Parts: sequence; structure tokens; C-alpha cells
Amino acid sequence: MRRIMIDRYKCEACLGCVLGCMVEHNKKGKSIYDLDLEDMANESRNHVEVDYENRPAPIICRHCEDPECVTTCMSGAMTKNEETGLVEYDKDKCASCFMCVMSCPYGVLKADRINNEVIMKCDMCSNREVPRCVEFCPTRALYMVEVAR
Amino acid sequence: MKYLILGASVAGINAAKTLRKLDKDGSITIISIDDKVYSRCMLHLYIGKKRSIDRLSFVEEYFFEKNNINWIKGRRATKIEPEKKRVVLDDGSFHEYDKLLIATGSSAVVPPVENLREGKNVFTLRNLEDAIAIDKLADGSERAVIIGGGLIGIDVAVELMDRGLKVDIVEMGPNILPMQLDKRSANVYERELKKRGAGIFTNVLAQKGVLDSNGNIVEVVLKDGTSLSADMVIVAAGVRANADFIEGTNIKFDRGIVVNERCETDEEDIYAAGDVCANKPGIWPLAVEEGITAAYNMAGLEEKIENSFGFKNSMSFYGIPTISIGNPNIDDEDYQIDIYDDGKVYKKVVHKDGIIYGAIFQRDISYAGVFTKIIAEKIPIDTIDKNIFKIGYGDFFNINSKGEFEFTKREYGLKII
Repeated sequence: MRRIMIDRYKCEACLGCVLGCMVEHNKKGKSIYDLDLEDMANESRNHVEVDYENRPAPIICRHCEDPECVTTCMSGAMTKNEETGLVEYDKDKCASCFMCVMSCPYGVLKADRINNEVIMKCDMCSNREVPRCVEFCPTRALYMVEVAR
Repeated sequence: MKYLILGASVAGINAAKTLRKLDKDGSITIISIDDKVYSRCMLHLYIGKKRSIDRLSFVEEYFFEKNNINWIKGRRATKIEPEKKRVVLDDGSFHEYDKLLIATGSSAVVPPVENLREGKNVFTLRNLEDAIAIDKLADGSERAVIIGGGLIGIDVAVELMDRGLKVDIVEMGPNILPMQLDKRSANVYERELKKRGAGIFTNVLAQKGVLDSNGNIVEVVLKDGTSLSADMVIVAAGVRANADFIEGTNIKFDRGIVVNERCETDEEDIYAAGDVCANKPGIWPLAVEEGITAAYNMAGLEEKIENSFGFKNSMSFYGIPTISIGNPNIDDEDYQIDIYDDGKVYKKVVHKDGIIYGAIFQRDISYAGVFTKIIAEKIPIDTIDKNIFKIGYGDFFNINSKGEFEFTKREYGLKII
């Protein structure tokens, strides 16, 4: 399966990946020029953390082989696609119980900030060859790899 | 190989799914009283008319057909005969097995309060039939008394109030949701409930129900003398394992079926998973984990329960989410309690000597899963020199060659440079 690889030592915490993710998931258009950063509805599915020594680390969903978010999901909204390897989220099935947020050991997940209803879950930009976060990363801290399952 | 599974809820379904993945040709049969697959965690949403029965399902369409699983609905096991390797059902028929999984869950208990077990309008919420009955009676009802202010009690309270009923909640603990929350975080929900007309009675037990001539409870009297009038009563005060049929076997039972970390019972080729098992909180993720683990071992592959930490709960009422992990109510001055409270967002972390034992996150639960991992595995944080509420996976960041996240090993008291 395809995975977004992270080289944290190349990360400069520019938040390009965060912007890229917001651009891709913006309902009003997929160009950077369509993105209104004052619109609360624009949220990213990834984030960058700073550790105890002020080193940045991009946190992006791994689409785990043994995903805790799927194990814990009681509505069938979070599923592992055995063909593509992706962990997919169906917001229409979701009951907003937040057990996935509670269970992801890597702290990748959160609920949307407007209604606290929908889980902000990476979809690898669905049909895109290169996910937007990777495309927006200027230091190549993010790059695509094909990994054996 | 002939696999037989008793129960078609979360543990049984996950076991069946896993068995099919591991054994393409084996015969898999599920026997259950349920004639539908549904998530028990969503039953209150049916009462609130927020989900139809179809939308309570947690499996894909045609799950049984796709996975070639034989499903016998509406039947209950009455006896297991290990020496003959077969299960007897309530219609007298029997089914043979090579490997048997008991995943029959638990039933709600009605405490021995006078007239509570006799009252015709007294319900628990465990099965779809319960939800349907509550939904029906709610239509002509004005007042409901909820006995037990835990997660199920509050779930039902919220939905009944949403339908216009006046609801009174009776909880013996010092606040509602006492297993998960502290006073501060519970108060937030109590306020929201009261604002919408709920009566909340804490630190008190129900003493008796008063029956009318039709056998319905019309009044619930509390130990302190308070009297609450009722058109219906919901009891959400604990559960017991559904395992009567193991009588006569060597399966060990101690308020639930006793299993080892491979989900094996004391009887050969008989496994158990989910809420029917002993000594652990009955939460969804554990039932999944156990169902999958049991399936691996039934298929002849050794697998142990990896993650048996069950003291974690998430909830959301009136748009306010909360996550509770471990024990956030430790009352011992040896423990340090850190609190973030800006009047809305509330966070609490209870720790001692670099190990976190409990935490509550209210209103801002983003990325809180890291704390579940840290608390469940007692990962030391004493060398992480930063605001405790800002601890995140970034502090443990490690990515392997397959692009999977792992936790950097942190030795207690040893700083990583």
C-alpha cells in the first residue's frame, strides 16, 4: 500500500502540509486561492506538534495495519479497506461517539471544531496521485512510499 | 473445521469475520437470539428517533452472505455438552462444533427494589426489543424516572427529554457518571440536563415503586423520602453475564466466564469473548479485541490479547464531548493533580512519580488518544519537560521503515538526547 513517509528532521514547521490538507478539503474549491483561513469550516486532518525540545513533528494518519480507530468504532463508520489498505471514514454512519479520538495512540484524530460531530480523518486525498500535504511540503519532509503489507 | 459462535453482537461478529479471513473453507455458524445485527451503543438513538433500525447496524450490507456465514436467528443455547462437542438449543435441536465461541454478552439487572421487578412499565436498555418498547411507551408518557445515572442512563435521559418527557435521574454516586467523571466535569452535564427540565437526585437510592391497579409504577420513592411520579421507569444499574447454559461444564465462572489471554475457557475447544467474560469493564473495543483474539486461537494461530485496558470512555451530550481515561478520581495526597480550566475547556491529569493514572478531557478532546496509550501502558513522562497538557505523540515520535508510527522507548528517569 501507499503511505505518506515522514522525515521529521527535515520538517521546518512551515505548516505547508496543514494548508495543503485544508485546500484539498475545502468545499469551495481546491485552489490555494479559494482557501479562506478565517472560515472555521476549513480544518486540516493533519497537524504539526512541537516536542519537549522544540523539534517539530508532522502528525499524519498512518492508515495502520491494525487500526485502533477501526477496532473501537461502534457504528461501522471507520473501516479498513483490505484492497487499498486505507482506513476509510464514512461520516454518514458515524454516531459521533469519539471512541476513535480516544483510542488512536498517536493522537491523530479530532472532531470538527464547529459542530463537534465529524471526525477529521485523512483520506489520502482520495483519487489524487500525490496527497496535497506531500505536494505542499517544500523540504521533502513528506514523501510517498510503497510499502509491503 | 466447524466453528460455532453463540451471539451475534460485537464479539461474535468480529470473531466470525476474522475466522473467515483466516480459514476460507471452514464452516462458520452463528446462533443468536438477536435477529438483527445492531450496535447496542446506539440503541438510545433509536429512542430519540435519530436512527432507524437499519442504521443501528455496524456491519456492511450482506455481511453473512459475503463471508459465507450460516446464521441461526431467534435461538438460544440451553446447554453445552463438551464431551459430545455439541450445543443444545431451546427448540431441542443440537449443533456440533470443533471450536466453540461463547459471545452471548450480558443482560441488564434490575436491582431488588420493591415493585421494580414487577412493574410493567419498567425497562432496561440492552436489546433492540427494549429500545422498541421504550419508544412505544414514550409516546403516551409525560414523566420518566431513570434509575442509574451512568452512561446508559444519561443516554436514555437525553433522548426521552428530547421527545418532550419530564425526566428525573436517580444516582447513588455523588454526581452523574461517577465512574467516568469528577464533580467539575459532571456538573457541566448536570447543568445542561437541568436547564432542559431534568430533575437530578444524587447520593440517594430508590427505595420502592408504587404500583397502580394495572401493575404499572406510578411513583418512585427514594430513600430520603422524595417521591417522583412516573409514567415509565428506566433502570440502568449494572449487568450480569448471559451464561446460564454453561452449567454442568468445567467452564469457570466468576461474575462472568473466566478466560486466559488467548480467550480460552477451562473447557477444551471452548472460547469466550466480550461482555460475557469476567473481571473487566464491558466496553466495545475490548469485545472487538477479544472476538478477534479468540478467532485466531480457534483457527489454530496463537494470539494473545494485546490491549486489555478497559478504563476508557468517551461521551458527548448536548454537543459537549468528554473523554475519561483510567481513574481521574484518585483521592490520595501522594498523587499530583494538574488541572486546566478556562471555564469551558476542562482538563485534568492525575499522576505520581512520572506515571499518569487518570485523565479527563472536556470540550477539547483533540488528539487525546495519546493519553489513553500513556495511561494504559504506564509510559513514564517524567523526562518530558513541558506543560503536561501539551504532551503529544510528537514527544514519542518514531517512524519505522514501513512508515508506521511506534512509541520511542522511554526509560523511567532517563532522558533521551
